[in-house]
Amino acid sequence: MPSKRRQEGYLFVDHRESPGLPPDAALMTPGKPSPLIVGRSAMLESATITCSHCQVIVILNPLRDRPRGYCAKCDAYVCDNPLCLRECHPFAKLMDDICERAIRGQEPLVVQSLPVVPDSEPIVVPSIIVP
Amino acid sequence: MAKYSANVPTYSSVGVADTSNFTDAQYIAIQGGAAAARTAISEVYVGGQATSSAPQYILVARDSTVGATGLTGVRTAALDASAAGNTTPTIAFSTTTTKPQRSATLSLLNLSFNAFGGIVRWVAAPGSELFLVGATASLGEISISAAAASTTGPVGTHAIYEQV
Repeated sequence: MPSKRRQEGYLFVDHRESPGLPPDAALMTPGKPSPLIVGRSAMLESATITCSHCQVIVILNPLRDRPRGYCAKCDAYVCDNPLCLRECHPFAKLMDDICERAIRGQEPLVVQSLPVVPDSEPIVVPSIIVP
Repeated sequence: MAKYSANVPTYSSVGVADTSNFTDAQYIAIQGGAAAARTAISEVYVGGQATSSAPQYILVARDSTVGATGLTGVRTAALDASAAGNTTPTIAFSTTTTKPQRSATLSLLNLSFNAFGGIVRWVAAPGSELFLVGATASLGEISISAAAASTTGPVGTHAIYEQV
């Protein structure tokens, strides 16, 4: 039986020989995915998911206890953006529509908008000291 | 189709604001091929080469203005040496006449790291890659570039993509 974990990507940040990133909220850019603060001498390996609706990459926080966004129609993870949680607009369908119109020689599909990443707090990873 | 590696061994990664022109040789962009072609990006790697602390806020983002004319500057190699050529291939570039601009809203991934001794790598699960479609804004081009708050530093980058 397929597992949702088959949809998980992989993120690796290695600061074992580096001063790492300062836990500085000034680094936050409104509307951008949260930076992952991996500090001095730390290393992070994390699963990621790709939102089925907007393609934003979500770095999974292992300490999260709220349920993750999931679209039963896509059978895939979605991000926490309210637009992605509320309605099913698969990115794959959007791509199919664009390609179909191009193949038929029709006017290009005008994409009104894609969901915008909501502002959020930076994620500070607890130092994982590798001996 | 075949997978390709787009890579630049070393370049100076300089922070740039959204919707501002990139500067040649300070970013990497991947632009789709034909209007009905899709490109899947399955891996992004950035390795720091700085000799002093240089926090970098690397954004993998869609471009609201795509590059045009003279797209060069990135080494592109087929991972399978027997790969057949494509008449309208996906192009990776870092130098162009019309400069690309990062979208202010369509950032997909934040690969923050320190270019002094740090590396960062993201790999997609099969079927969960980042997709380009066509070659026009905003879905036809993705760039790997430093956000404005970054400290300038040398990095090396590669991305693996496949035109599907």
